Amino acid sequence: MNETDREPILVAENISKRFGQTQALSDVSVSFRAGEVHALMGENGAGKSTLGKVIAGLHKQDTGTISLRGKALKPGSLDGAFHAGVRIVHQELAQCPNLSVSENLCLHDMPTRRGAVHFAEMTLRAESLVHQLDPTINVTKPLGYLSPGRRQICQIAASLDRGADGSTNARVIVFDEPTSSLSISEATTLMNITRKLAADGLCIIYVSHRMSEIFTCCDRVSVLRDGKYVATNVVAEITEPVLVEQMIGRRIEPIEDGSHKSPIRIAIEQVADGQAHHVDAGEPRLRVRSLNSPGKLNDVSLDLHPGEVLGVGGLVGAGRSELFDAIFGLDKRMTGSILVNGKEIAGKGTRAAIKAGIGLGYVPEDRRNQGLFFNLGIDENIITPIMPEISGIGGIRRMNTELDTVKQRIERFQIKTASLRQTTPGELSGGNQQKLLIARWMTQSTRVLLLDEPTRGIDVGTKAEVYKLIRAAAEDGLAILLVSSEMPELLALSDRILVMGEGCIRGELIGEEMTQTNILTLATQENKPVGV
Amino acid sequence: MLSRIFQHQESGLVLVIILLMSALSIYGMFYPVKVKSPTVFPESVEVHFVDKQGTEHAQGELGRNQIHAFRFTVNAETTEYPSSRVDRYDSETRTLYLQSWKNPFLNKDNLVLVAKNASFFAIMAVGMTGVIILAGIDLSVGSIYGFCAILGAMALNTLGTDASWMLSIPIGIGVCVLAGALCGLANGAMTVGFGVHPFVITLGMMATLRGLTVYTSQAMFDKQSIGHLSSSFTEGFVKREFFGVYPVPILFMVVVAIGGWFVLARTVFGRRILAIGGNETAAKYAGIPVGRVKILVYTITGALAGLSAALYIGYLGSAETNAGNAYELQVIAATVIGGASLMGGRGTALGAVLGAIIIQLINNAMVNLGVDPSVNQIVMGGAIILAVIIDQSKQRLAARRS
Repeated sequence: MNETDREPILVAENISKRFGQTQALSDVSVSFRAGEVHALMGENGAGKSTLGKVIAGLHKQDTGTISLRGKALKPGSLDGAFHAGVRIVHQELAQCPNLSVSENLCLHDMPTRRGAVHFAEMTLRAESLVHQLDPTINVTKPLGYLSPGRRQICQIAASLDRGADGSTNARVIVFDEPTSSLSISEATTLMNITRKLAADGLCIIYVSHRMSEIFTCCDRVSVLRDGKYVATNVVAEITEPVLVEQMIGRRIEPIEDGSHKSPIRIAIEQVADGQAHHVDAGEPRLRVRSLNSPGKLNDVSLDLHPGEVLGVGGLVGAGRSELFDAIFGLDKRMTGSILVNGKEIAGKGTRAAIKAGIGLGYVPEDRRNQGLFFNLGIDENIITPIMPEISGIGGIRRMNTELDTVKQRIERFQIKTASLRQTTPGELSGGNQQKLLIARWMTQSTRVLLLDEPTRGIDVGTKAEVYKLIRAAAEDGLAILLVSSEMPELLALSDRILVMGEGCIRGELIGEEMTQTNILTLATQENKPVGV
Repeated sequence: MLSRIFQHQESGLVLVIILLMSALSIYGMFYPVKVKSPTVFPESVEVHFVDKQGTEHAQGELGRNQIHAFRFTVNAETTEYPSSRVDRYDSETRTLYLQSWKNPFLNKDNLVLVAKNASFFAIMAVGMTGVIILAGIDLSVGSIYGFCAILGAMALNTLGTDASWMLSIPIGIGVCVLAGALCGLANGAMTVGFGVHPFVITLGMMATLRGLTVYTSQAMFDKQSIGHLSSSFTEGFVKREFFGVYPVPILFMVVVAIGGWFVLARTVFGRRILAIGGNETAAKYAGIPVGRVKILVYTITGALAGLSAALYIGYLGSAETNAGNAYELQVIAATVIGGASLMGGRGTALGAVLGAIIIQLINNAMVNLGVDPSVNQIVMGGAIILAVIIDQSKQRLAARRS
């Protein structure tokens, strides 16, 4: 690298961004150079993706500026960033899988001849872009026929569109978790392409939480934590433990002076106080053996005892929700054995899982799409799974029994609602919606409860309530499987922690081993080859 | 109390019906129709035409305009009819045609006719409501109706015109409902089993069943129309006269509407239909057997189309192979006017019935106004669009308030 490369091409200064109650970024400043692959790292929710999206103009920052070669970009303008030469490649970006690769690449500007689409011209144009990255891709094929890795390559190719002189207009490309859905060999190809683009003088901003990728293909790495900037390191001069330490901010943990405690930590401590919790060591209530599901789960086994909260840690896409879906009978391609109280329920579907005597309950992670019925009242949202049990012959509802049941739950879970029948979940706050969903499954007949991100997007006060409910339910002998991406929450609530990665159980942590460092180390490591 | 009534979805529909009926009644008061009722006199009648001065004249002596009254003497008993009440007198048959004026809309016969016409659609619309709440659609109800009608007619024709009601009623209704349920079951099973959008499956069924209807009728009876049904089923049951009208189909409509309301509002099955329509993914996560509920809903819809067909053949006394052609659109329209959302999750049985009644009221109004049938269709189309737009804006308003 010569001296001119040392000048930053893109500078993010004092960026702050808030989503509702969450401060996603606060006063973050990072500068990026041409010709480098610059990683943005951090835990789930650290703000790395948000920063990438602010740079590309997908999100509008509340304060701060992004400037490219000294010229400030218009905040929140994808178009402005695009014309200045900033591109973003990420999973959610619109692609039309039914159209050919070439049509996808030329969507915004299809070549025409006498009013009709000029397919030959389009193919040539697409090939000139795609073949510099992967000459084996057939651009006339529908995009949906390609593997995820090749689709990603096509997206990158689309960002390399050319100007009139034939050279690319792109200056900065943001890769947002580019390898999260790719196989290892595809990821390697992608990293090679990344290096090649940087060698051509582009600035690559690489958002990722995969440790190995940072060390193989990045030049520098900036770490974010809780929306704050921590440090920028030259990759060659740093070790993995140091990086993990920066990500989780270990130094904060031992400080117990109370002055810098986050509200969430206080909430957790209230629950954890005097927690002399004993777990029944006898027969496990839930016994899962060698659960497999193509592309989702790989030989997962676990035991869950009555009164135990078993935490499941891991990064986004580690297969945690997929595991829950499989246990609950929603994954049709799943194989393996699931025993509840010694009874096999694998392959028998959801009905078998929730019926009396088995008593599985599942609070899914996405309450809007997977949980609530917005056309029904609070009452029916709460009693959905037990409605047949409390109804009379022929499924005729007993309105008074229903109402009593609902009132009890509303009271026990302190759900604030204007009315039981008329109010729909859409009128409740996020916290009350979540409590409603938990209330749905905390019934007398529930024996095993699967909780997937039970406190996502709710305020701190409600979080504390939810923590208390979870611990109290465990004291009552409920067996709870808990997925949470919030490390302090996972650590405070769990009796044991399983760490998942790429559909496998990577390890189990008990007692003293349960630390953020250990979870993150297990979660970010490569899968061990099978048989070792 | 009053505010609770207005909160209901159906209050708007009832209001529309009341407004429509009032408008038609008032129109009918200003433009009444002439009714001629004949009175036949025995041969011994003496007829005199009286002029203004009260002088009697023989037939043919006075012009129509000079006649002041008609005087009939039978067996020394004389009755006089003022000329304003008389339309004409036929001397050959000794028939006096009296004329009177009546409201073309607001009379017993017309109101029962509207309700009877609505009942065939309303019964199917109750089933369709279930399907539409599921965010599905059933385009085959018209064809199921036709198919069941032909099958039912063939069964009743085979029984003979003199069969006992103990045989004809169970068989007439049973054949139609069973055949309809089987068609609906096929719809549901294919939709769920193959995971195909119900539009496609029921579109296919619509064509298949229509063809099957014509084919069966041709192959077994060699005609397009099957009559000579058991009279114990037709005049004896479905078209039985009470107080000068034929109310049986209307009674069926009322029973089906109440049943539909009960199932949707008061049973676990009904609430599951609404839950699936509101959020199918959440329904799966809540352990609701989504596939089974869907299949059952399509089956019931088919069965109700069959029931409607049974009433149709009983009322008309025959079935034609093109019966129920394009009924699916009227049924869907009734459901949508009744407040069901094609996006799923919303709809009521009562709304569907009221929707069917509104459609028939508009139809009846067009006939009474003597409007061309093509204009009738234009008005009907406009009414459907208007109803949905009003309903949508009402929803949006309600959403903003909360």
